[in-house]
Amino acid sequence: MIKFHPSDEMIHQFAAGSLNPALSVVISTHVDMCPHCQKQVLDAEQLMAEQLTKAPKPRLNSHALDAMLEQIMTSQAPAPKASNDDYSNVLNLDGKLFNLPPTLARQQNRIGHWSRVPGKMLRAPIDIGSDECINLIYMDKGSRVPEHTHKGQEVTLVVNGVFNDERDEYTDGDFILMDSSQHHTPETQDEDCLTLAALDAPLHFTSGISRLLNPFSSLFFR
Amino acid sequence: MQLMQQKENTRNMTTSPVPTDGTESAEHLAGLLSKIAATQCRAAFSELFKYFAPRLLAYGTRQFGNEQIASDLVQETMTNVWHKAHLFKADKGSPATWIFTIARNIRFDFLRKNKHRQNDLSADDLWPILAETNEGLDDDYALDQNILLQQIASYYQQLPDNQRVVIEQIYLEGKSQQEVSDGLGIPLGTVKSRTRLALQKLREMIETHD
Repeated sequence: MIKFHPSDEMIHQFAAGSLNPALSVVISTHVDMCPHCQKQVLDAEQLMAEQLTKAPKPRLNSHALDAMLEQIMTSQAPAPKASNDDYSNVLNLDGKLFNLPPTLARQQNRIGHWSRVPGKMLRAPIDIGSDECINLIYMDKGSRVPEHTHKGQEVTLVVNGVFNDERDEYTDGDFILMDSSQHHTPETQDEDCLTLAALDAPLHFTSGISRLLNPFSSLFFR
Repeated sequence: MQLMQQKENTRNMTTSPVPTDGTESAEHLAGLLSKIAATQCRAAFSELFKYFAPRLLAYGTRQFGNEQIASDLVQETMTNVWHKAHLFKADKGSPATWIFTIARNIRFDFLRKNKHRQNDLSADDLWPILAETNEGLDDDYALDQNILLQQIASYYQQLPDNQRVVIEQIYLEGKSQQEVSDGLGIPLGTVKSRTRLALQKLREMIETHD
């Protein structure tokens, strides 16, 4: 049972297409895993569609619209989009197999090289273009991330497994948002854990030497 | 004018509640979409376009603060509606919601996607609403599942080996087409064409035997 969800506001912004790509990928993956939030997203889309149909219409150049209409009806069909069949939903990490939710499965070709990070962990960046980056983080059993704080907001989604910090225990589908005021020490016990982590304010980290000095910032912040 | 009046009359005669604020009912819009999907009906599309284009233009103008970009958004959205009406599924939401989500996706890409970097995340990665999906395949699957599994074991044995192996892995072992492609070391396109041919052949066999 998923205990931790994105806020209503975040779901709404996601459905509006207003969140940055990194955060959108994390929320979309959560939504794949969470029937409750699927409903929230549908409701938000429906609400925005209603606003669209009810909003006052602008004054129009009807000639331009007629021309557009004609142009559309004689246009070539856009190329078909890739289907889900084109993606494998299995992630093979050193022989361990993980089932990826659809959003992540569609990102398989963007998953970069896995590297070791301190504390029995592995990390692979997902390169979604622009300056943003999200990471898949694999924590083996008995892993521990030294206590750290965040410069911006950090979001973490449990894809598969269990980890805990001082506050709670998090399992498949749980969505955790931490801001700069919160310290925490994520760790695993008897189970391993695959998580997806992103920052919603990556620009704060593209410059600044502190990023290089703090080996653990790269773990969650890239 | 005459036409408008007629339309009003027809509406008043129906028993379902008619919106009074100039919005169209979901049923009516869904009817237009299915006509477009079935026969590329120009009249249905013209009506849908006249209804949505100004509204999308208003949305785009609010979002971009630029009427040219807003107009590009309208054109791209409605082009998809024209060519992909068959992807609208009434059980998944209203026509307005479907069209809104297409516009939302296009807006996301307008704002985010750098044309020079093809690999950037696109809205389709997040909301694959226009993916030709497994749709065809899913429908075939739903339709054929029981038959496939219970009644036609013998037909299935008659398939050429290369098609039978693919069907076996996809429908009985639940693998994705990509996995089958990887596993057998054959191109994905070949897996797809073998699947299609095999389903076609099975269907023919069922039809001739029924």
